Amino acid sequence: MSDTDAHRILVPVGDSDTLRDTVSYAVERASAAAPNRPVEFHFVVAAETQSVDPDAPEELGSAREQLERVALWVEEDADSADGATDAADGPPDRFTVVTDVVGTDRYLFSPGDYADALLEYAAETGIDRIVVDPEYNPAGTASMLRSMSVELARGDVPVETAPDDRPAQGAVLARAASLSKYLSVFVVSYLFYMSLSAWKPLDFLTGFVTASIVSVVLAPVVANRSAPLGLTLRRLARLAVYAPYLVKEIAVANLQVAYVVLHPDMPIDPEVVQFRAAVWGDGAVTTLANSITLTPGTLTVNVSERSFDIHSLTADSREDLFDGGLERAVRFVFYGRASARIPTPRERDDAGEGRDG
Amino acid sequence: MTPAEWGIVALALAGAFFGGVAAVGLVRLPDVYTRSHAASKSDTLGAILTVAAAALALQSGLSTAKSVFLLLFMFITNPTAAHAVARAAQDQGIEPWTADEGDD
Repeated sequence: MSDTDAHRILVPVGDSDTLRDTVSYAVERASAAAPNRPVEFHFVVAAETQSVDPDAPEELGSAREQLERVALWVEEDADSADGATDAADGPPDRFTVVTDVVGTDRYLFSPGDYADALLEYAAETGIDRIVVDPEYNPAGTASMLRSMSVELARGDVPVETAPDDRPAQGAVLARAASLSKYLSVFVVSYLFYMSLSAWKPLDFLTGFVTASIVSVVLAPVVANRSAPLGLTLRRLARLAVYAPYLVKEIAVANLQVAYVVLHPDMPIDPEVVQFRAAVWGDGAVTTLANSITLTPGTLTVNVSERSFDIHSLTADSREDLFDGGLERAVRFVFYGRASARIPTPRERDDAGEGRDG
Repeated sequence: MTPAEWGIVALALAGAFFGGVAAVGLVRLPDVYTRSHAASKSDTLGAILTVAAAALALQSGLSTAKSVFLLLFMFITNPTAAHAVARAAQDQGIEPWTADEGDD
């Protein structure tokens, strides 16, 4: 527990149907847990975008609006709750609302990353209790991963999940939505299977079984959001330009590695280097990381935020990496020709030499 | 031999060559990181060239299409697996081998 007198409650805020109820619950809990102490509510949005992202201003704006709404709800609830118990106590003064946005300095991918960002905030501000919205799921639909409340429980702060008071109808609707996703994954994989099969009776059966397994296993991780169709098509077209370039890079670099490996003296000079890539967004970062790994001589060891840990086999492969050819190509695929002209990592001074550890 | 057959032989030989490079690299290179370079990439190229040879040799629409899918999936999954291995090694705190410390 905190050594100062205020009781501090952290509520992670995200887009969710049950946010309003969660706020009420947090206020209720605060009144019960600390009847006479001042209470500080920390409402925190863990940002999905990094501040350099083109969408960031819009998204941060809507996050702030949401936080303002939440602050108003606390006032409402505080008035009604304390008004009912003892009206004399000039209550809203007891409650302080603090709002913040965390995680704008890095990319948050998994529930674990979100939990880390929130726990860091909790440690800095001396939070006594975390109340999690039952529908809080900032990392998207990846329900194969551990849930937020489990991830948050890694910290030293007690975590509880607000009750889900929605009528049964809401639950049915939610189930119907996910059912349609299972179905669409099933249909797509069945069609894919059949398109490659010989259309014998047995193929229909094996296809059915395969598609069932695929949809059960993979539907929970299929992304909900997708880029607009036009953008996707443009990216695919640019990808068609990128692919031959990547193949050429792979071929040339493979010959270099073959030379190094087969040379009697084996002139390798491996080193782990770190560089900050000027790409943003899950898709672009993943594509770049995989391209780096595919290009022989460089291997992506770790990616956090925009910073890549790259294991490089030779000095030449490091040079190529810092010349930024791949990085430029990935930017070209995802953001078009204009963005390809950003200076190379070396020119930007984003190329870090050997990182200890 | 027809030109197509020459192409198939060339692809298969190149595939075998890079497969061999991968095997030699796996034996000769000093640590898990450098080995996963050889195991993932020379190997990927070797497998891809070999499958490309098969795709040419099959010369039927469906089998060739299947081979192309195979190529695509290898392109995506092999680097992912190599990254997973390297990342796991880093998480385990395995220090990368460097040229100035080893005598190998």
